[in-house]
Amino acid sequence: MDQPAITVSNLTKKFSFTAKEESSGWIKNLFSPVTKEIVAVDGVSFSVEHGERIAFIGPNGAGKSTTIKMLTGILFPTSGTVSILGLDPTKDRKKLAYQIGTVFGQRSQLLPNLPLTDSLEFFGVMYDLPEKIIQKRIVELVDLFDLGSFISQPVRKLSLGQRMRAEVAASLIHKPKIILLDEPTIGLDVVAKKALRDLLIRINKEENTTIFLTSHDVGDIESLCDRTIVINHGSVIKDLPTQDLARSFVYEKFIDLVAEHKFSTFPKLPAGIRYATTNANKITVVVDINKISVQAALIKLLTLFEVEDIDVYNADLETVIRHIYERNSDRA
Amino acid sequence: MANELQFALYAIKKNIQSSAELRTSFLMNVIGMFVNNTAFILLWVFFVKSVGVIGGWTAADIIGLQGYTSLCYGVVFSTCFGIRKIPDYISSGVFDRFMLSPKNLLMRTATSAFSVSSLGDIIFGVVCLCIYAVLIHAGLIQVALMLAIACIASIIFLSAILIINSLSFFFSDSSAVTGSLFELFLTPSLFHGGAFQGAMRFIFTFIIPSLLVGAIPVEIVRDASFEKFLLVGVLAVIWFLFSIYIFNRSVRHYESSNFMTFGS
Repeated sequence: MDQPAITVSNLTKKFSFTAKEESSGWIKNLFSPVTKEIVAVDGVSFSVEHGERIAFIGPNGAGKSTTIKMLTGILFPTSGTVSILGLDPTKDRKKLAYQIGTVFGQRSQLLPNLPLTDSLEFFGVMYDLPEKIIQKRIVELVDLFDLGSFISQPVRKLSLGQRMRAEVAASLIHKPKIILLDEPTIGLDVVAKKALRDLLIRINKEENTTIFLTSHDVGDIESLCDRTIVINHGSVIKDLPTQDLARSFVYEKFIDLVAEHKFSTFPKLPAGIRYATTNANKITVVVDINKISVQAALIKLLTLFEVEDIDVYNADLETVIRHIYERNSDRA
Repeated sequence: MANELQFALYAIKKNIQSSAELRTSFLMNVIGMFVNNTAFILLWVFFVKSVGVIGGWTAADIIGLQGYTSLCYGVVFSTCFGIRKIPDYISSGVFDRFMLSPKNLLMRTATSAFSVSSLGDIIFGVVCLCIYAVLIHAGLIQVALMLAIACIASIIFLSAILIINSLSFFFSDSSAVTGSLFELFLTPSLFHGGAFQGAMRFIFTFIIPSLLVGAIPVEIVRDASFEKFLLVGVLAVIWFLFSIYIFNRSVRHYESSNFMTFGS
């Protein structure tokens, strides 16, 4: 347990593909196409301690899934090293598989035509668990994930929420030390999302399972992960505790102004302040604190509007993440 | 290795159970393939009856040929149909699942799917070979040769489809190409053995092993030829080892895709 659960050093993955050259004819493009290269992951480094809950986030095409696939041994890195529990996924893929669990939200690993219990048993046999242990573990997982009501149904007849719970349960049959989840809540309703998040927190607390997840859902990040790594254009741009994420990037404050009577006009605002929403009862403005302090902004706003109440707050995490993506995108 | 084989057998059992869940489709597939093969063999038998013996091949030999090819097809695709699905697995990204398995990648992939209709091929193949044994008045040695060469021919069939489908790792949307290559291998294996002489026989024995799964096994049994049996045995080992080498090299080119899929 001395070494980190995951250590990634200068991990790079390049993909090459043939591209059509507009200036060439179709025959040249057919027989002598130009080969181009994209860098999907570019020198990524980080480490994860045992029992941590990590959100690995980034916009579409940032390199999240490619990184996860290199961590699990699905893809071979172009360069750099990965060590998961001291194992190299490119050389020890089979050994590593016994130690990790994986869930891909967009893909099912279960046997569609057979009852869910058969899928769980299948995974138990695949991980070489003795029959007695498999049955005991299935009972535990059925209880933990509340699978009892649909355990005997064919997997293809389960709802998406039920199936995702079953997917996570199946990936935990062999008590992996690390579970890697790629968009596990995709397509789930709010109730199913919460249930899945609660379950992941529970297995993290009860079994000290390290959780490494990618998601576009801010709720997953906020409620589940204690650390967030942000990746864009293949590079890690931020790696910090989730609770610091909002604070670290707040260069904007939101101010709600509630009308004493009704707002009838919306005058031009001073530099550094802009309208977010306007209506007769409430105005929300955004203050860029690099240009104007909150105090100065409040003074100016109070000269412009007659207000009954004021509320000053930070941007929510979703807005912060959007800013991070956009800011990095502008630099690219 | 015993552990890997045990799991492979377990996976095959689950595949059959999974297919049998859809009972009507299961039965229709098995019966349909049997009927389809029977129609095909009738066509050949009538052909031989009309034109007479060609290159020493009689109507009984044609039945033996169809028996071997169907049996190889059936045995391989009822146990290792996952190999035939490699192009789909790659294009849909489903292959990821096998990369994440703690089992031997090739065995896990091969035993991941089951072709129901292949059961019809097995039944048809066994029936044909029984008829063939009766027609040629096969003695004990010939029956033993029949069984042994059926196993060896199945290994060659497996090796051929493994090499063909491993090509999918090198280029995208490979289903059409691998399908055509499979037809290039399979079609000559169903053809009248007397049609292959000289260079054609060399090509379809040593370069494309079509004759090794049908025509040559029939000749081995008919002539009780131990020399040919030995040669085919050696070729089977070479093809088998070569196919595993090709698969393992090809996997390194795998570039996982991100299509949304549901399990299979």
